[in-house]
Amino acid sequence: MNTTKGKVLNRYHVIFLAQSIMIGTGILSLPQKLSPMGYTQSFMPLLFGVIASLTLFAMVWLCSKFPNDDLFRMNEILLGKWLGKFINLLVIIQFIVFSAGIISNYMHLIQSTALQEQTITMPVLCFLLLLIYIVSGGIKSIARFCIMTFFITIGLFYFTRWAIEKGDPSHFLPLFNFTPKEFYEALKQGYFSILGYELILFYFPYIIDQKKAFRHSLIGIWISIFLCFITTAISVMYYSEWQLKNVEFSVLNLFKAGEFTFIERIDIIGITLWVFLILSSITAYVWCAKRGMDTFLKKKKQSYQLYIIALIIFFIVKMPFSREFQEKLFMASNYVGYVLVSWPVFLILIYVIRKKQVQV
Amino acid sequence: MKNKHLCIISFLIFVLLTGCSKKELKVPLEDVGMVDSMAFDYIDENQMRLTVAIPQYSPDAEKDTQTFSITTDLVSSGIVEIEKQSDKKIVFNQLRVVLVNEDFARKGNVRKIVQHLYRNAEVGNKVLIAVVKDNAEAILKGDYPDKPSINFYLNNLLEPSINTAFNPNTNIHDFMYSITNPVVDTVLPYVEKRGEKLEIKGVAIFKGNHMHEVIKPEEALVIQALSGQKNLAPLHLDINAGRGEEKVMIDLIESSVKKESNKNMESPKLTIFLKIKGTLSEYKGEREAHLFTAERISDLEKDVNKQLEQDISEFLARLNKTEVDPAGLSEEFRMYHHGKWTSKKTRELIRKLDVNVHVETSIISTGTLK
Repeated sequence: MNTTKGKVLNRYHVIFLAQSIMIGTGILSLPQKLSPMGYTQSFMPLLFGVIASLTLFAMVWLCSKFPNDDLFRMNEILLGKWLGKFINLLVIIQFIVFSAGIISNYMHLIQSTALQEQTITMPVLCFLLLLIYIVSGGIKSIARFCIMTFFITIGLFYFTRWAIEKGDPSHFLPLFNFTPKEFYEALKQGYFSILGYELILFYFPYIIDQKKAFRHSLIGIWISIFLCFITTAISVMYYSEWQLKNVEFSVLNLFKAGEFTFIERIDIIGITLWVFLILSSITAYVWCAKRGMDTFLKKKKQSYQLYIIALIIFFIVKMPFSREFQEKLFMASNYVGYVLVSWPVFLILIYVIRKKQVQV
Repeated sequence: MKNKHLCIISFLIFVLLTGCSKKELKVPLEDVGMVDSMAFDYIDENQMRLTVAIPQYSPDAEKDTQTFSITTDLVSSGIVEIEKQSDKKIVFNQLRVVLVNEDFARKGNVRKIVQHLYRNAEVGNKVLIAVVKDNAEAILKGDYPDKPSINFYLNNLLEPSINTAFNPNTNIHDFMYSITNPVVDTVLPYVEKRGEKLEIKGVAIFKGNHMHEVIKPEEALVIQALSGQKNLAPLHLDINAGRGEEKVMIDLIESSVKKESNKNMESPKLTIFLKIKGTLSEYKGEREAHLFTAERISDLEKDVNKQLEQDISEFLARLNKTEVDPAGLSEEFRMYHHGKWTSKKTRELIRKLDVNVHVETSIISTGTLK
């Protein structure tokens, strides 16, 4: 496999890596996360898109200064060996917990809607096996999987047509009807639905056309943002404010509005296809965690780290702690995700200060 | 060599581990009782009478529907009680109709039971809800000799059809949507049992969480038209325009509505433009012999407009007096109001609301006979 060395990602890979990693479980509950803003939420994803574009610019700028190194190396170069290694360790833990959070969230969804009479052990195991299979193919196989995911799942948008028919466009008015506090709440809770594009910090060295990487990633990001925007807009039209706040997976209930005589529950189709979206985002995170673990090892080209990561994820998902602790842990990892998004800005500052010493 | 050992060991492990697996308790399809209809009757504040109807497919059974009734305080504990009587496992995947009796709608907490079903992921979105006069249990247990079974009958009766287009066809989502939305009051079809037949007598209007009154089908049609329904039921009109008593029946083909508010909360004014297109299917009155030219028809259109404007205004004035808003008229004001909207605001607004109705009828044909 031509995965370990050399540049492997062409422009389509870059576009869909950025696009598919962003869409995971987040979009399922995005309308609910944004509900503090009530009906005005529909335009929030566009604002998120602007923020994402700005932070992406910082990331790509930083990466272009180190065209052959990922964030783990950059940390070590810019912060010194020991501090850099420590930060790297935190990043790895963050990625593992974050992935476990997404899986746990998805399994919780499966258990509450589709398989009410089963435990989630078997599904989690099958899921992790698939995960190992895709990740061991390297970043290129992940990128290919992302492209496939996009074209398989995009058809789901057809199932929202009944909700559009029933919805009431007058809900969009009045514009900008919120207080600063509501806005802050929605921003805080909603933004991690679109996290994922920051992984370009790790796969940047593999991109063939690095000069255009910014443009390609931007296309990917705005595809996702547009999908999020459609989702929130339809939800706003279809639901009352109470429903926006209280229906947990509002996108699935949008599918339920469907009226096929031969299918009772279209949402089940949605949930099962969603596994692609979950896989495409988690594989990327796990791949990054594996890369991070590589930097700690003397001997490169080992593959057992992947199995260790999978095991850790399994134990976090199935851990015998209370649901409350789990929620708190995953919540914390979400907030750490924000730190990671703004981390490049911090590194840029250091880079500017230490420019002379770290010239590569 | 090493691989060979590994293979043998893992083979042995897999064989031996099967002994540790638990016996799965899966219910086969024949033993699942899929509830088609549920009925709730009011007993007192804490108690209700829950009835479920389950289709019986066994050819040996005399009746094609199983019904179970139980007195309970919670829906799910009632279902557990019913499972004790039933030979099957009760599931809600095929639930189609929920009936509540009028007492329950007026005094009980309909929202709570519907919310319970809405929470349940098994329940689809096709569940239709209706209010029943007197006793809902009697409807499910009644005999309808010329109908296949009560489940089919009820479902088909409540489903959308052009002649009962005044029926709001409230499903579980619509109910939750309208009862939680401060700008609109819930409407449910109102069913009455007459001997061996069921009849949709009108529409029950809610005020907040409780039923307020029952209105006639003609009035319910107005609500449907004002809330933007495109296809409406046939319209029956009595015209009194100085030419004696005239009766007109118009098959409505299309209607469109436009609402304009003056955006003022203190002295709210709303202008409604209603356009309807239809076929004149029957006429009885003085002009019967003259209705052949386009001119005469347009005269009749004008009279119909006037009559409709008058009827709708009267009806809305009556609703506004009682502060209910089933057509969602206050949405036109919420759209321009900054800040939080509450149902208290809707009530205040609707009481002060001054409605101005303009109707434009066009009769596009009178059939094929000249």
